Amino acid sequence: MRRKASLILLALAVFFAALSPLLRYYAFPRLAKIPANQYQDMVLEAKNATLLDYGTMKARTVPEVTIVQTLKGNVEASEKIEKTAGRDVVVWDGLSYVQGPDGKMVSKIPERYIFDAHSQEPVHATGEMVDGDPVKRQGIEFKWPFLTEKRDYEYFDAQARITAPIHYKGTQDFRGVEVYYFEQTIPWTKVPFPNTMPVKGITPESVAKTGTTRWYTTVRKFWVEPLTGAPVYGEEIHKEELRGGTLLGGREKVTAFAGHVKMREDYIEHTVDLVKSNRTLVLLMTSYLPWGFLILGGLLLSLSLYLEARSRRPDGPAPTKVGEPEPVTA
Amino acid sequence: MRALIAAAIGFAVALALVLTITAMGSPTGKTSPKPLLTTVPAHP
Repeated sequence: MRRKASLILLALAVFFAALSPLLRYYAFPRLAKIPANQYQDMVLEAKNATLLDYGTMKARTVPEVTIVQTLKGNVEASEKIEKTAGRDVVVWDGLSYVQGPDGKMVSKIPERYIFDAHSQEPVHATGEMVDGDPVKRQGIEFKWPFLTEKRDYEYFDAQARITAPIHYKGTQDFRGVEVYYFEQTIPWTKVPFPNTMPVKGITPESVAKTGTTRWYTTVRKFWVEPLTGAPVYGEEIHKEELRGGTLLGGREKVTAFAGHVKMREDYIEHTVDLVKSNRTLVLLMTSYLPWGFLILGGLLLSLSLYLEARSRRPDGPAPTKVGEPEPVTA
Repeated sequence: MRALIAAAIGFAVALALVLTITAMGSPTGKTSPKPLLTTVPAHP
């Protein structure tokens, strides 16, 4: 009976011990992925920003400029691309909608970002674009890979349509979450005008005819939770200028937008809570379960060996009879 | 010999379980009906 029990325990010990590395190194990389149907929105604000008044063509300080960013997973498009790509693909249709203090639209830039659901590597397929312009992204955008490393990454800048390094600048604590801080600087770069301009009747083509060009620079900052690869907070010191041409009335340049863009407080709280909960799921797969199974396997093996040893122990000799003590004489 | 068989069964079951779970994957779901926002939401 003990022998049979020890064999069952041995099988269970091997089961749990084998499950530990299989879960961490085989199952986790295959199961951890961005869901194709994810929908998320984000509100960012730039207080006391500088904004160009297209009526007077003069820059003025405004109390607030708001940026609403939406990302929507397009399941049908991802399934279509998966058929040819042969891997799990996510298609995000995004919109960055910028609104002035009067509630009017300042700019509206749609984009389609296609990437590998597990590694976040870009996948190139028809439809990949920024503001209607076909692009071929290199590097990441919006999100870092699961198990983010302490190193520089290549990050795609949608305004300039270029990829540049985003540098790892250290580990910090952000509202109780350990995060990696990344920073990217895009130097002054000539960028296209948005296809949708804030003033009716003005198009990128009509502005181009005046010879005026649009320039942009930014310092992009992200605080990324490394297990999930999700940014818990982001900031951008963003500047845009119009330069040259007849549109500026002889001036060399005029500021189109300048502001320190930060996530709105309620969205920070929401994001931190969401990332904390997803972090627990990743920890379950990468740490809690693998270590738990390994320890359990070790315990079951010990128990199995103990039962096996007891079952093999031969019957001991019969106890020796203890006689009556003899009287001692001096 | 019996110990070896028991260990092999344990390993095979673990392998089968992990392969099954990863092969099943997760459902993709449907595209959200919510629009791309052009107004500032009051809250997340």
